[in-house]
Amino acid sequence: MSRAEFSYDFPHRHLVSVADLNPVDIQIIFERAAHHLAANRTPDKRSDVLRGLTVLNLFFEASTRTQGSFEVAGKRLGADVVNFAVAQSSASKGESLSDTARTLAAMKPDIMVVRHSATGAPQFLAERTGLAVVNAGDGMHEHPTQALLDSFTLSQRWGSVGGRRILIVGDILHSRVARSNIGLLNILGAEIRLCAPPTLLPSDVDQWGCDVFHDLDEALKGCDAVMALRQQRERMSGGFVPSEREFFHLFGLTHERLEAASEDVLVMHPGPMNRGVEIHTKLADDPEKSVILDQVESGVAVRMAILELIGDNIRKGAAP
Amino acid sequence: MSTTRAIINSRLVNPASDHDAPGGVLIEDGVIAQTGSEIDLDAADEVIDAKGCILAPALIDLRCAKEAALTPDGETLDTLCAAAMTGGFGTIVLAPNERDPLDKAGGFAGMSRGLAQRSVRVLSACGATQGLGGEQMAEIGLMVHGGAVYAGCGDAPIHDTRLMRRLLSYTSQFDIWLASRPADAHLSSGAVALESDWSARVGIPSEPAVSERIAIERDAALAELSGGKLMIDRLSTAAGLDALRHVRGRDLEIAATVAVAHLTLNEVDAGGLDSAFRMDPPLRSESDRRALVEAVASGEIDAIISDHRPTPYDDKGEPFALAIPGTLSLETMLGAMLGLVHDGELSLIEALRVMTSGPADLLGLPQGRIDIGAPADLILIDGDKPWVCQSEALASARGNSAWSGRRFQGRVLQTIVAGDTLYNP
Repeated sequence: MSRAEFSYDFPHRHLVSVADLNPVDIQIIFERAAHHLAANRTPDKRSDVLRGLTVLNLFFEASTRTQGSFEVAGKRLGADVVNFAVAQSSASKGESLSDTARTLAAMKPDIMVVRHSATGAPQFLAERTGLAVVNAGDGMHEHPTQALLDSFTLSQRWGSVGGRRILIVGDILHSRVARSNIGLLNILGAEIRLCAPPTLLPSDVDQWGCDVFHDLDEALKGCDAVMALRQQRERMSGGFVPSEREFFHLFGLTHERLEAASEDVLVMHPGPMNRGVEIHTKLADDPEKSVILDQVESGVAVRMAILELIGDNIRKGAAP
Repeated sequence: MSTTRAIINSRLVNPASDHDAPGGVLIEDGVIAQTGSEIDLDAADEVIDAKGCILAPALIDLRCAKEAALTPDGETLDTLCAAAMTGGFGTIVLAPNERDPLDKAGGFAGMSRGLAQRSVRVLSACGATQGLGGEQMAEIGLMVHGGAVYAGCGDAPIHDTRLMRRLLSYTSQFDIWLASRPADAHLSSGAVALESDWSARVGIPSEPAVSERIAIERDAALAELSGGKLMIDRLSTAAGLDALRHVRGRDLEIAATVAVAHLTLNEVDAGGLDSAFRMDPPLRSESDRRALVEAVASGEIDAIISDHRPTPYDDKGEPFALAIPGTLSLETMLGAMLGLVHDGELSLIEALRVMTSGPADLLGLPQGRIDIGAPADLILIDGDKPWVCQSEALASARGNSAWSGRRFQGRVLQTIVAGDTLYNP
């Protein structure tokens, strides 16, 4: 049954986890994102759908691309966007997160976009403030907008990701991008493969509904897309792999290795990218294979779609 | 060699198939082509009459050491190989140790290719941590691609439990063994002897036998958690053996080796504080030794290793408590093991199994067995020939043998690798 045949509106005021979404929610997000993607390519990018709403970018961890992407998205929709550089503010003066939340809520923003090093921080802020919250990455837990933009990028190429074979290679253990992508791709019916040294895989990974590999050449066989992840050194304690050169030797993506994959395989990377560690520099720059810059472009469109849909629900006064 | 050779009239002992009966072999192109009592002599260019001597697979050693290149008067690859073929070894594995940590990925593949040029088969393990310091993982993957046959932690245990977990986890992707000395780093710190009446009387730093038990329980638990393959590198106590039996009840891959010194010597040998008997692990009690021999007989020990360790100064230059641990043992290992056979402690086939098919199976090697199609790596042994170990007569460049002056019964007559006789005094 297509969406046109029954009445269903995007029901969410928050986006904390991909697990909150059903296939129809995702379809709605992708439809709006496709609209914004097209509009963003014209000189007339700006709309007023969020006029009067304030979006607070609350990044407790340093970010360039995600914060910038949310800022561009909010501004193109006419919202007032305020960036809080939290590292320079109250948090460094010993204020608790709930006090910071109450203080910010008193300024009456409408949507908080939150990145935090602790799993569960966006949920915590949503519960404490009652404001609409978009998770822009919490610890090693989730990064739902990244997963949505990844699948959106692929579905722009393929029509749909269902039934496609997609490999995620690299530091799965510390990656919120991997966790959100696995959740979302499972909902969308893709076949997911993971490849990493055993030290960079969670111990219960065999329960995640993915095929797990330690040999990249085996893992790449027949893949339609492959996503490289960097080693999250900021989350690592002690050594998980001996060296970057050994990692590249065993798990680095190169043109030669991709010959085992499907002929028109797409190469993705959520950034920031370490050339020569998880991906060969020539492959990263290959316009035939690499969709890394498409992902960045999709990122703005997908975040516009999410802010717009949540903004609609705020105006309707929908329950959380 | 292209010639076809037959060896007949031998007592053919093949532990891989539990075979011990009169017979012989036919060797074609370095490979065993026929075995048994009916060898086709017309096919042979050369016939060797063994005159009733023992024909067995050439021995395999999983742990020996040379000295670093350019060490003055040191044990070079040449002298090490000479010692190996004299002792009846067809295959030896260089294992990492403090003086030669084998932890550098750069050049490892080249080194392996160089080792492969030797007439004795020389393989190499790699160091599991940088400099064997037990802190940073070495580039194990690159070294495995360069030919490393297992990863070893060296002489000291890994004290950091989290690192041990990661090592077992990381090595599991290459399906290789991680060899680790079973000792609790803190309990065994500085120990040169077993905690016993003797060590208490002479007042030297000692370790309790449970140090080994604790380490085996810990490392087995981590192997179970990580799916890694754990090689108990030099089991030496009855307490450790109890722990091995306990953990073998679980679903994990675990192997155990014992050094020949711990099967054939005990702390009484070290009673005179002769530095030659300073070993690592230290020599244990007679009851430990007996328990280990029984475990060999019952098949619980996968391999006996030489732990051949050349040291500078034949007398080690220092008193017992300060001396460098280790002994030469490639040339005396077979004699020492045959001593256990003559004493009725082991059967010949039990003694040979842990020096041939046992270690071969751990590494997945085709040799170590007298089977059709297997490499013709063989030894002829006179099981009764008496001889005396004289350290100055050894092929090794060094003289630090704990068996110096010992009488042995049984000696290698020929060592054959890939069909070629390398040693025939």
